[in-house]
Amino acid sequence: MGERMYGFNGVSPSAGKPGRKRYAMVIDLRRCTGCNACTASCKTAYDVPLGASRIWLMEAETGEFPNTKRNVLPRLCNQCDHPTCVRNCPTKATFKHPDGYVLQRYNRCIGCRTCMVACPYNARHFLPEYRRDPRNPRNVADKCDFCIVRVTRGLAPICVNSCTGGAIIFGDMNDPESEVSRVFHANKTFTLRPEMGNAPQVFYIGLNEKIADPEFAFHHRSKQLHRRYNTFKRNSEVGGEMAGNIIDTDMGFIGLIRQGLNNFRTFFRDAPHKIFRGLF
Amino acid sequence: MEGQIIANAFHHAYWGFPIATYFWLVGASAGSFVISTLGWVFGIKKYKSTAFFASNMAIALLLIVPIILIIDLGKPYRFFHLLMLPSFSHWSAPMMWGSMFILSYPISMMFYSYFVYKKNEKWARILGILAVVLALCTHWYTGVVIQLNPSRIPNHASVAPILFLTGAYVSGIGLLNICLWIRNHFVGPDNRVSAGLIADMARLMLYGVVFDLFLLWNEFLHMTYGFGEEYTMLYDVLLGVFRWPYFYLEIIWGLLFPLIILMIPKINRQLPWVLLASFMCATGVYGMRIWWVMANFYYQGHF
Repeated sequence: MGERMYGFNGVSPSAGKPGRKRYAMVIDLRRCTGCNACTASCKTAYDVPLGASRIWLMEAETGEFPNTKRNVLPRLCNQCDHPTCVRNCPTKATFKHPDGYVLQRYNRCIGCRTCMVACPYNARHFLPEYRRDPRNPRNVADKCDFCIVRVTRGLAPICVNSCTGGAIIFGDMNDPESEVSRVFHANKTFTLRPEMGNAPQVFYIGLNEKIADPEFAFHHRSKQLHRRYNTFKRNSEVGGEMAGNIIDTDMGFIGLIRQGLNNFRTFFRDAPHKIFRGLF
Repeated sequence: MEGQIIANAFHHAYWGFPIATYFWLVGASAGSFVISTLGWVFGIKKYKSTAFFASNMAIALLLIVPIILIIDLGKPYRFFHLLMLPSFSHWSAPMMWGSMFILSYPISMMFYSYFVYKKNEKWARILGILAVVLALCTHWYTGVVIQLNPSRIPNHASVAPILFLTGAYVSGIGLLNICLWIRNHFVGPDNRVSAGLIADMARLMLYGVVFDLFLLWNEFLHMTYGFGEEYTMLYDVLLGVFRWPYFYLEIIWGLLFPLIILMIPKINRQLPWVLLASFMCATGVYGMRIWWVMANFYYQGHF
């Protein structure tokens, strides 16, 4: 079977090809303290808007007293070798780089959000109209890019640099001497949702099956958090419906109706703004 | 074991109700166009009188579509990235095929309408064949856009595009029946469409309703034999918040009630009942579009 080719210039995954880079990440959950330093530094570095994250922490408390445990799972774009987002992007705005990154080209993106529909890891977010720095891209999809601007200049990604426990290990998997390669081969690693067939390139050591299970994540989330989030979304100028607010449907039939009305309201409210904003 | 997830990023709801409306409009357009071609392409003479109106209705419905789609884009002015820039065209993406269909389908329909108006049998037939294929493709791709995402549980099945097409057929005929009845009030007696013809079209709609129920049953079976995620989805569409669009609006209101009405011999040719069944079908399919778009994002977004 031939290699699957994706996106820009027909790049194929570089896994195991000598002389080529293949950047990957191993996250050692035994060392992760859940301090959120990666989240904070990433949000600061890339001006990630409120309500969205390039890297974020999913935390779960499991067990019953006294045998309880707090599980932490840093989540980010998995830089898949067979990315569904790249396959589904109609304008080649997102593509697989030969060195393993899955990158986003803001000037090509039309903001159709197909990539966000396609991503099984929920790793993509939408950049809102209002940014802190107006020169930053708006109304396009965005994602973690393994800090390509830092890596190509010889620096580690900012989440790796800021990780207090040294839990995130990044490097070239094709180089057998690299730390990430050694850690990967010395430990048993897991990926998130392997059944999706995306070949994710972020590997976890000590992954708790509960927190990695989408069904568990779906059922065991506090209602209070949803309500707070809905309130935040409704009152927020950033994001709004374009950036998405679906968990209103937690509130039953009324929530579903409100969701629909809100969708249409913001659709018509944003329409002239988006059109004329593009002109001037 | 109990547990609670206490933090996550909420990268949510990407396509909302406007996109569900778009699916419904494209479907109704395709469905009414299929009826339009019955007379001129497939040779069923009694439907020839509806062809011109049905085709124009399909065009009118489809003219709303680009407005919704383009405004829903984050960057509306970049819609031409899909159309005119070969280096931007990513042919593995269903949305790319769809933009070609949406561009060519109304144009071929317009030519078809012109030749029907001129009563040019040969060219109406040729353009009709082309346009009916494009009509099916235009709606087929909307199903494929969601179907090809493995993490969207209820849509990741090969029955998805056929379900979309059947819904389109049903809603298209339903909407056409109502519009023809309204049109009858504004045209002369010679141009009116008879109640018998509307009842005949409702009979065609009945076949679609039965097939739609059959497909839904298959999808239900598919979900019951799935993994945990399918079960969660099943719970949501049968007992959770999506029972409103899925169970009540689509199945009960949009399929079962019309099925009963159109199966009872005494009333299935009476105009008021036929129109009621048509209205139920046309609105019921909107419920299907809602839950297909929204339910997927509802579930996935929680991971």
